Amino acid sequence: MQKWQKQISCQVAVALFTLGMQVGPASAQGLAPGEYKVGFITENTGAIASAGQSFWNGAQLAAEDVKAKKYLGDASIVLDPKESASDAARSIQAMNQFIADRSIIATTCCVLSPVAGALKPIVVGAKIPLVIFGATASGLPQPPWIYSMTILPGPKDIATAVKVADALKPKTAAYILAADNDAFKGRMAATQKTMEGKGVATAGVVSVLTKDTDFTGAATQAMGLKPDVILIYATQQAAAGAITALRDRGYKQTIVGNDVLSPAAMFQKMGPTVVGVPFPVSFSASIADTPEAKAFVSSYETKFKVQPDIYSAQGYQVVWFIAQGLKSISGAPTRESLATALSKITNIDHQVYGGQQIKDGQAETAGTLVVNWSADGKLVPWTPAK
Amino acid sequence: MDLFLQQLINGLALGSLYALFGLGFGIVFATLGILNAAHGTYASWAAIIALAAVERLNLPFIPALLAGIFGGGLLALVVDQVAFQPLRRRAGGGMISALITSIAAWIILDSLAGTATGHQSLSFPRDSYPDTIFFVGGIPLPAIQIITVLSMLVVTVSLHLLIRRSRFGSAMRAVGWNQTAASLGGVNPRYVVVITAFLAGATSGFAGVLGGISTNNVSFHLGEGLMLKGFAAVVVGGYDDVRGTAVAGVALGVLEVMTAQYLSSGLRDGITYALLLGFLLLRPRGLFGSAGFSRA
Repeated sequence: MQKWQKQISCQVAVALFTLGMQVGPASAQGLAPGEYKVGFITENTGAIASAGQSFWNGAQLAAEDVKAKKYLGDASIVLDPKESASDAARSIQAMNQFIADRSIIATTCCVLSPVAGALKPIVVGAKIPLVIFGATASGLPQPPWIYSMTILPGPKDIATAVKVADALKPKTAAYILAADNDAFKGRMAATQKTMEGKGVATAGVVSVLTKDTDFTGAATQAMGLKPDVILIYATQQAAAGAITALRDRGYKQTIVGNDVLSPAAMFQKMGPTVVGVPFPVSFSASIADTPEAKAFVSSYETKFKVQPDIYSAQGYQVVWFIAQGLKSISGAPTRESLATALSKITNIDHQVYGGQQIKDGQAETAGTLVVNWSADGKLVPWTPAK
Repeated sequence: MDLFLQQLINGLALGSLYALFGLGFGIVFATLGILNAAHGTYASWAAIIALAAVERLNLPFIPALLAGIFGGGLLALVVDQVAFQPLRRRAGGGMISALITSIAAWIILDSLAGTATGHQSLSFPRDSYPDTIFFVGGIPLPAIQIITVLSMLVVTVSLHLLIRRSRFGSAMRAVGWNQTAASLGGVNPRYVVVITAFLAGATSGFAGVLGGISTNNVSFHLGEGLMLKGFAAVVVGGYDDVRGTAVAGVALGVLEVMTAQYLSSGLRDGITYALLLGFLLLRPRGLFGSAGFSRA
C-alpha cells in the first residue's frame, strides 16, 4: 500500500471513529426508550365524579397523543389508575401503593384541596413527583416535588366581577357563598374587597353548604337584600341550585357565576336559567382557536363523543407537563431526575390555552375571557343585557 | 314580613318533602320492623325513572310522575323480597341483621344509580313540569311548591285512613305487632308485607320525583339528603302515626329554613339533629307515637 493510501485510510478511520463517538453520545442524550408509568388517582365515582371523569379523559387522551406524535421518541407514558372517589383516606392508600411501586415515575391527583393537602407531606417525604389536576387552594405546589396544572380561578373571578361592575355600575352586591369551602371563601373575600374598592357596597352574604340540595331559602334571602347584582361562590351543584332557585323566584337582575358553570353538562342541566350568567373561562371547546386546542377538541370529541371542558383540558395538560419533563432527561429517568426536570420548566410547550407558564410550580394562563351560555348552548363573550 | 312569609312557604314546601319521604320510611319501620338504610335509594331511583320517562318516552308530567312512583314501589318490593324476606324466614334474625342487609342494598342501589346517571347531577327539563309562579300579595308561589304541599297532605290523609280505618290497615298494624299472632287471626303476613313494602317505596318515590324537580337535582345523592331528614321526621313525629311524621317533617323544614334565614346556615342541620337527639332521649315515642310502641 502506498504511503498516501495509508494516510487516507488512517484519516478515514479516525473520521469514522470520531463520527461514531459523536453519534453514540447523541443517542444516549435522549430519553431511554420504554413505557413510563404515571400513577393517576382517579375520582370517577363519588360526589364529583362528573368532573373527575373529565380530568381522567383528558389525561388518557394526552398519553395517547404523546405516543402517537412520538414526542418522547420510542418512549411513552402509561397511566396507572387507582380510584379514590374523592375520599382522602382512599387517596392516601392509593398514593402509598404508587410510592411502593418503583415502576411509577410520577403521580397525579386531586380535585379537592383538602385531599391534595393530605397527600402533600406524603409525596414530599417519599420524594415522588405529584402533579395536581384540579385542587384550587393556593400554596399546594412545592417544587421540585409538587406542581399544579389547575388554572387558579381567584384572579379570574376578580376580573369578571370588575368587568361586570364597569359595565353595569351596580350600587350593591349580594354574595351567595359555600361557607364550608375555604377556597370559595377566599375567592369571595378577594372579589368583595375589589368590588367595595370600586364603590359597590355589600348588601349581604348568604351562606349555603356544599351538600345542600334545596336553595329556595337562600335565594329568597339573597333577593330580600335587594341587591343590584348577585355573585355566586359555590361548587358546581350548589351554584346551579342557587342560580335556578333565583330565576325560579323571578330574579331578573344580573347573577355572576364562576368557572364551575363552564362544562357543557351544566348547560344541559340548567338550560335557560344559566343563559346570560357571566363567568370566567380559561378553556372552552367552542372558543378554542389555536391549532393545539382545535386538535385537542377534535380528538376528544372523536374518542369520548362529548366536548372537552376545562377539567378535561387540565387533565390533558398534566400528562403533557410530565412528558415535557421526561423529554429533557438523558437516559433512564428516576423520580428525582424527573422532579429536577419539572422544576426547570417555565413554559409548557404543548398546551391548549394559547399560552401557559409555570411559576413556583403553579400553572398560569394570561388574560381572562368572560363568557356566558347562549340560548343555543354555546359559550359566547359576555355583554351586558340591553 | 314578606320575607318571613316567603321563607315560611319555602319551609312548608321543603318540610312537605321530608314528611312525604318520612311517611314511607315510617310505615316500613312500624309494620315490617326494618330500619331500612336503602330507603333513600328508592327516592333516587324514582326520580331517575321519571326523568327517563320524560326524556326517553316523552311522557308528560303526570304519567312520568306515576312511572316514578310505581318504579319506587316496585324497587322497594324487589328489595324486600330479595333481601329481607329470607331474614324473616329465619327466627331471631332481628333488627341488626335487617339493618346490615339494608346497608348492603343501599350501597348496591346507590352505585347502580350513579352508573345510570353517569355520576352526574341531572335535572328535569323545565317544560316537563308545571313551572308557573303564582303571586299572592306580591309573594311568589312556584307551582311545584304548591303541588308538593298538596301531595303531602293527600298522601298523609290517605295513609292515615288506610292504616286506621280499613281492614288492610288493621292487618298492617297486626303484622307490625306480631306476625305469628296476626297469622293465627287470619291475616296473610306475606301479603301485608308485600303491599306495605310497595306502598313505602311508592311514597318515597313520590318524594323523590317532586324533590328532583324542586331542587333541580336528579342524582344518586338525592335520596341521601331525604333519608336523614325523613328519619328525623319519623323519630320526632312518632313511629306508628303518620300524622306525627307529617307534622314533624313540615316542622323540620320550616325550622331549617328559618334557622338559615335568621340565625346561620351552619346551624341548620345542627338544630335538626339536636331536636332528633332530644326526642330520642326525652320522648322516644315522638309527638304522636303510642306509649306502648316498643321499637324506639
